[in-house]
Amino acid sequence: MTSPPREILTLLTFAVLVAVPCAAFTEPASRGQETAVQAAPLSDAELEARVREIASELRCPTCRALSVQDSPSGMAEEMRGLIREQLRAGKTPEEVRAYFLERYGEWILLKPKAEGFNWAVWLLPVVALAGGLVFVMLTARRWVQQGQARAAALTQKGPEEEI
Amino acid sequence: MTNTIGYLAIILALFLSLAGAAAAFRAAKTRSSALTLLGRRAAYGVFGLATLSILTMVFALVAHDFSVSYVAQVGSRSTPLFYTVISLWSSLDGSILFWGWILAGYTATVVYIYRDRYRELMPAVTGTLLAVNVFFWLLLAWPANPFQPVFPVPPDGPGPNPLLQNHPFMGLHPPLLYLGYVGMAVPFAFGFASLITGVVGGDWIRAVRRWIMAPWIFLTAGIVAGAWWSYEVLGWGGYWAWDPVENASFLPWLVATAFLHSIMVQERRQTLKTWNILLVIATFLLTLFGTFLTRSGILASVHAFTEGLIGPFFLGFITVVLVVSLALVAWRSDQLRSEPALDSLASRETAFLLNNLLLVAFTFTVLLGTVYPLIAEALRGVKVSVGAPYFNQMSIPIALALIFLTGVGPALPWRRGSPDLLARKFLWPVAVAVLAGLAFWLLDVRHLGAWATLVLAVFAVGLLVGEFWRPAQARRRAHGEGWSRAVLNLTAKNRRRYGGYVVHLGIVVIAVGIALSSTYRREREATLQPGETVVFSGYQIRLDSLYAGREPHREFAEAAFSVARDGRPLARMTPRMNYYPMSTQPIGTPHVRTRPTEDLYLTLMAYARDGSTATVNIIVNPMVVWIWIGGGVVALGALFAISTAAGGAEPTRSRGSSTERQAEPVEAGVGGAER
Repeated sequence: MTSPPREILTLLTFAVLVAVPCAAFTEPASRGQETAVQAAPLSDAELEARVREIASELRCPTCRALSVQDSPSGMAEEMRGLIREQLRAGKTPEEVRAYFLERYGEWILLKPKAEGFNWAVWLLPVVALAGGLVFVMLTARRWVQQGQARAAALTQKGPEEEI
Repeated sequence: MTNTIGYLAIILALFLSLAGAAAAFRAAKTRSSALTLLGRRAAYGVFGLATLSILTMVFALVAHDFSVSYVAQVGSRSTPLFYTVISLWSSLDGSILFWGWILAGYTATVVYIYRDRYRELMPAVTGTLLAVNVFFWLLLAWPANPFQPVFPVPPDGPGPNPLLQNHPFMGLHPPLLYLGYVGMAVPFAFGFASLITGVVGGDWIRAVRRWIMAPWIFLTAGIVAGAWWSYEVLGWGGYWAWDPVENASFLPWLVATAFLHSIMVQERRQTLKTWNILLVIATFLLTLFGTFLTRSGILASVHAFTEGLIGPFFLGFITVVLVVSLALVAWRSDQLRSEPALDSLASRETAFLLNNLLLVAFTFTVLLGTVYPLIAEALRGVKVSVGAPYFNQMSIPIALALIFLTGVGPALPWRRGSPDLLARKFLWPVAVAVLAGLAFWLLDVRHLGAWATLVLAVFAVGLLVGEFWRPAQARRRAHGEGWSRAVLNLTAKNRRRYGGYVVHLGIVVIAVGIALSSTYRREREATLQPGETVVFSGYQIRLDSLYAGREPHREFAEAAFSVARDGRPLARMTPRMNYYPMSTQPIGTPHVRTRPTEDLYLTLMAYARDGSTATVNIIVNPMVVWIWIGGGVVALGALFAISTAAGGAEPTRSRGSSTERQAEPVEAGVGGAER
């Protein structure tokens, strides 16, 4: 006997399990906006952290799939220097990103901007997973009910073979 | 001469596989034993010809016969012998030849092993495998012919891609990957044959169970080895960049993993028949699609791939396989219909359904991210990139849910779990996980993703250990065995189950390694003069000297560092830059010092020509080694799981002998409680 509350509980557990980390991993972006507001002079460590943050989301133009942060190539090295210089000059991370965006086009961003058509790449997986979850849970529930109905009808026959 | 022999072998292999496929398919319909035999012999013949062509190529490479187009493309007199031989798979045509040879090898092996079994299924299996052979030998005979004559014969060649001759690991990682990739044709052939013949239960399940595992093990090992190669060679301190090439190997792995779980549901409950067929078809299609993506040049630009014929060939073959398979599935829908079989939501079956959902959603996400640049270019006319930041953000939640299931799935009994039993099984793991959660938080693991991974890992390991511990405890009571003997007997009795649990433990270890190394990686760059020391993360790193040297196939610049901790010397480390004649960019070789808790990873980034300074990138990567160890655990567990007699029944299934009957009360003691 499966009571509906338990199914809902299972569903909720999964939703939470998937949603919480999702939220957690969008966090860095909002942190970036936060830091963009305050324009006080940066300590070296802060500056380097911010360079890393920006560099890891820019594509190294001469590499296959590495970010400017990860690539050991000379091109990436120069770009890191450029980011550092611009931050030191007081530009906000948004302005630095805009600088590279203007120079290289959207291609330079390793994370497609969530706008316009690009929403597809962000939302389709979530929609597919959520839809799939609902479908699986509903199907499973129907199967359980059908199974119980059949079991009730077949009680004479004895239990199925257990492997 | 060499060209003639090699090309003749390819052409003969093409026609023989064509004739063999025709004979075998005809035999599937008429049950003619003469035609069956013909198909089988054709499979052996194709393998013989494939071997001849690949030996010809190896011979041409070693003999530096530059009249052979492929040798002229990748050969060089200065390349060491080892790299000359493995340059067989360093470029397009050669790797497709290698692919064809492995495919022919799988075909011959399968046909030989099952020569006297599965009489209804095998002719169609032979036919399907030979039909796939036809495609690859056609590819080799025409657009990817590696034996084109070159005239005038050049005196020397450029040598293989520098990156591919920079580390001996290139001799291991591609063959493993190919064995996994190409091997997925075998479960596909069994699935396809089951559709043709209408044998949708029984035999095809028994055969495919083993034949999904073998390529799965190779593919897993190949992916882990590829990550290791990337880490040891590329100098960026990471192991997975979500490069399309990497994604292409990961996609079929995900679907194959879904399949090898859901096939168990069909085995026990005779349900999910259509779903399983679809998964096995999807796995094969994704290997083709991955090859298409990475080999056609389409990723460089949508417009690039039409320049060669290989892209259109692959696209055509993918379309044919897709359409024919789906048509067959529709045609057999009556046989594929299965009774819904689910007794309770708190059951193993539900865990498998969720596992399949997550793995397929994961596949969809990675696939979408990988092809999105193409879609955007085609529809919007704008080039975009989808890289690691996207994939990480999207995949971490799914991966966490999967870690959760690695523990919960095995702990849930088939059919239904009584609340009592579930409470007993889950109480301790939940308690320990909660305590661990607190402990990790207090230990300053405050990154949510890493923290959640660790907590779920503790939870999953707790549940998995319980799955070993409880039945072992029951055995001890029933037989008075010691701990080690009880666990040994237990696992030997049901290798598939316990091997699978070991695989799950390995996956958890990999997840922990990935979570910690990616979150707590520390890095800094330093420019040093000889004699100067930089202190980073507790290491004192001193530049001793900077020097240049020459090897037969390359020149190099190397920096020697002494590494110490608290004044105690630890290691001498020598990252370097290699200069290959055919490459404008230097290829760095990092130096990695691996320890159980953290790796120290030095990359030479730049240096002054006069030797006055060297710039080094210092990366401290915690727990990376556990990814490789976890990979080994996965492989060993999977090998143990399939280590029963080839194609034979599980020992637990035959309950004839007296010793096995003795074991039954133990199993029943546990299983009984589960009911």
